[in-house]
Amino acid sequence: MARNPYLPYPARIDEVIVENEARDIKTFRLVFEDPKSAVEFDHLPGQFAELSLPGMGEAPFGIASSPTETDYLLFTIKRVGLFTTEIHSVEAGTAIGVRGPMGRPFPWDTMAGKNLLIIGGGFAFTTLRAAIKYILDPANRSRFGSILVIYGARTPGELMYKDELTEWQARDGIDVHLTVDHADEHWTQHEGVVTSLLGALKPSADNTLVLVCGPPIMIRFTLVSLATLGFSEDAIILSLEMRMKCGIGKCGRCNIGSKYVCKDGPVFTYQELRTLPTEY
Amino acid sequence: MTPSHEIEARLRETAEELLREKRVDLFLGYEKATLPFRTTPLFLTSPEEVERLAWNPFCTTNLAVYLPRLFKAPASAREAERAPPLPTVAVVLKGCDARSAIALVQERQVPREKLVLVGVACPGMVDVRKAERALGEHEALGAGEDALGNIHVVVEDGREVTLPREEIVADACLECRAPTPSLPDVLVGEPVEGKDPDGARRQTDEFASKTLDDRWAHLQDELSKCIRCNACRQACPMCYCKECLLDQTRPRWVGTSTDMSDVTIYHLVRAFHMAGRCTECGACARACSMGIDTRLLTRKLGQEVEDLYGYRSGESADVLPALSAFDMDDAQDFLTEP
Amino acid sequence: MTEKRIPHTDLDGLLGRLRERGAVYAPARDDAGDVALTQAPLDDPMVLEYRNFRLSPKAFFLPQSQTLLTFCDGEAHEPSLPDGETFLVGVRPCDAKALLALDKVFLDGDPPDPYYARLRETTTVIALACTRPMSSCFCTSVGGGPGDGAGADVLAVGLEADLLLRAQTPKGEELLSSVADLLADATDDAVKEAEKRVGAAESLIAPVEVDNSAQRLRDGYDSPCWETASQTCLGCGTCSFLCPTCHCFDITDELRGTRGRRVRTWDCCAYPLFTLHGSGHNPRPSPKERWRQRIMHKFRYAVENLDRLFCVGCGRCIRNCPASMDLRTVLRELGA
Repeated sequence: MARNPYLPYPARIDEVIVENEARDIKTFRLVFEDPKSAVEFDHLPGQFAELSLPGMGEAPFGIASSPTETDYLLFTIKRVGLFTTEIHSVEAGTAIGVRGPMGRPFPWDTMAGKNLLIIGGGFAFTTLRAAIKYILDPANRSRFGSILVIYGARTPGELMYKDELTEWQARDGIDVHLTVDHADEHWTQHEGVVTSLLGALKPSADNTLVLVCGPPIMIRFTLVSLATLGFSEDAIILSLEMRMKCGIGKCGRCNIGSKYVCKDGPVFTYQELRTLPTEY
Repeated sequence: MTPSHEIEARLRETAEELLREKRVDLFLGYEKATLPFRTTPLFLTSPEEVERLAWNPFCTTNLAVYLPRLFKAPASAREAERAPPLPTVAVVLKGCDARSAIALVQERQVPREKLVLVGVACPGMVDVRKAERALGEHEALGAGEDALGNIHVVVEDGREVTLPREEIVADACLECRAPTPSLPDVLVGEPVEGKDPDGARRQTDEFASKTLDDRWAHLQDELSKCIRCNACRQACPMCYCKECLLDQTRPRWVGTSTDMSDVTIYHLVRAFHMAGRCTECGACARACSMGIDTRLLTRKLGQEVEDLYGYRSGESADVLPALSAFDMDDAQDFLTEP
Repeated sequence: MTEKRIPHTDLDGLLGRLRERGAVYAPARDDAGDVALTQAPLDDPMVLEYRNFRLSPKAFFLPQSQTLLTFCDGEAHEPSLPDGETFLVGVRPCDAKALLALDKVFLDGDPPDPYYARLRETTTVIALACTRPMSSCFCTSVGGGPGDGAGADVLAVGLEADLLLRAQTPKGEELLSSVADLLADATDDAVKEAEKRVGAAESLIAPVEVDNSAQRLRDGYDSPCWETASQTCLGCGTCSFLCPTCHCFDITDELRGTRGRRVRTWDCCAYPLFTLHGSGHNPRPSPKERWRQRIMHKFRYAVENLDRLFCVGCGRCIRNCPASMDLRTVLRELGA
């Protein structure tokens, strides 16, 4: 019999990493209690999962790790609401439930053979990290053309995954540009909003797909810039956030028009989004 | 009692004049609904459409419930800058509804100067469920009123049935102490006296005379019908909180289920928050599709506040609500030594 | 398709036989005079004359509060699923048809919902054709009818002295054969009488134009009618909770000490909190968007996704709305 879709896989938080200066973003490293679960939990970057603490509720989060990181799952979570406050208070060793993977991943088949422009803002960089790790895996890197990453945050202290960003900037096969809205005295890279860096770099739209994740205001301006640079609507891939409960298309709250973000999304092309009502 | 059609004509004249002279932006009244025994609230902005306004024995909705949302405070300074100027609103109010409107003014939810209170002396409104039950398995296809205020119904087989008004009037109307609105800007209809103003006390006393076990059993029996649809809360003009305690999730005070513990807490919390605020319009009970007597608890708590502080909600716009005021002479015997 | 007949006088015998197999819910009159599906004592005769129940039978399949998981010392466990049989007798055709809509979400959806599936599997629905529709009924406009047995296992049609019983599913065939000794063969006269009665009921139902509603609602998405129609909405859940096809739900956790449960409870798109994000952003910020969502879901999104209207024309939302809103009005305005 099929597994009960409401029953989470038992897992344990084995490490908690504080990501930012404000200490309201943490990455949780999860290990499944039963190695069989890890096999069943077959995911691709762009998908999400429902995390739950027994008795404290459940909430959806994008998966921040790549399936090529086989021993664990990563979730980067900002403290904003009920469940996120709860999970921010737990320590390594805590039992946690994982349901998923859920939703449509980034369109990896379409992305094969293309140059990729990856644009992230603030805390929404999580599934983009998964995508970058996936692309950079030796087994996958040759499937894609050039990789240009633009990542911005309000301040240097708010950039996540700092060690990895440094590592990616130092290596070949990927071009990573960072920007902050407000620099401090140690900051030597670009200062300004993401779109100003995008305008300065002027990436070519030729044979290129764009992944964009960020706060709504950043997305709005980025879409304008991308259009100026000649990117077509079907070359732009976005990931949406909606309030969700079941994650399996039944509870009826995450729909935008006739599309359910939990099943038909969270990844949509800009072209697809343009056909939907603006209720997001 | 002034005939309904005369009241209706006066309401239309009043609305036409207020809208045409642009003394109000909105006239809030009633319109015939698609089914008999019912009206639906009408948001009128054009003097050309006043013929839609209706007055009949089925004007049950307490229109004061819409006032707080028309005068909702901006959420932020930025929103306040962009917010349009506050509207001026005329609203049709029965005696009970007028008390609600005044109570909202007292609680500073709506500005008195932006309201035109169009009071109607109310002979008591028909409770749709009582009326439908009185017809048994027959269904009304149309309903009207005679000179005595009794309801004439045409049922599906073409027969006409007369329902005596007092048999199908809402419970809250039977017990109403002030069916003629106090303090209106316009009063329509000859003043009406309350039918059984002592009824509420009598029923509360009767309930109080039962044993604790019997009272609890009655309450549980009544509340077991609840489907947690929130209609009682949403129909109540005094339930305007931006975030209701019953919806709060940090922490969650009340579970979301229909287990008796959750249902009981839901109704107790609502009743306690109505103490000294409920204007006894009965909107909660009429909104309940399950027929729960939601007034049982709110009525009792209103009487407690009246006995302790001599205060009744919605009777004067200038008086501080009982729970907002403190006086050295206030009864304090409910306080206990630590 | 088996067609049988049972005299009204033998109905108690039939219910008795069903009671030997499981829980039986049949129409009975309560203290207030309302007829409801009730697990009545044996000596209560089944009521045959009623319009419809205040509550739709959806709660038998999607309980208003349902435990999805139990917690004990930090571990989650699946609750045991019910295995006893349940018989619902006297469900109206509109409400039976609503089950086909719920099936689309909870059985055909990937993955299926195990809780719904079990209740659907263990419950047998015996529908009773409608002979006295109300002015709020419009089943015939949304693909149903007073004698439509779709969604039920057995359809009964009340005749002068008998009930005509028509098996609709294998489960219904099995049921009729298990009580064959109580049943007589249906005669041509009985079948004709049933047709006549259903036809008479059908003629009483006023049509609402919902043809091609999906396309018309696509065109009417930005219509000003949403704003005017939603002004009166009080934002309660009466329409959704009484609706036989509304199925949106919430999931919350409860914990006492180290024990607790994850519980699914009915929810409603008219509530502002339904779509409110943790950040404070709300994609459906006002009654306008919320009321539009409700109509769009039933008459457009469900058609686009599941090829089925999620309205069976039972009229409960119309009869019970505290502000007397009528969804037929907005459908007419949009020409949907």
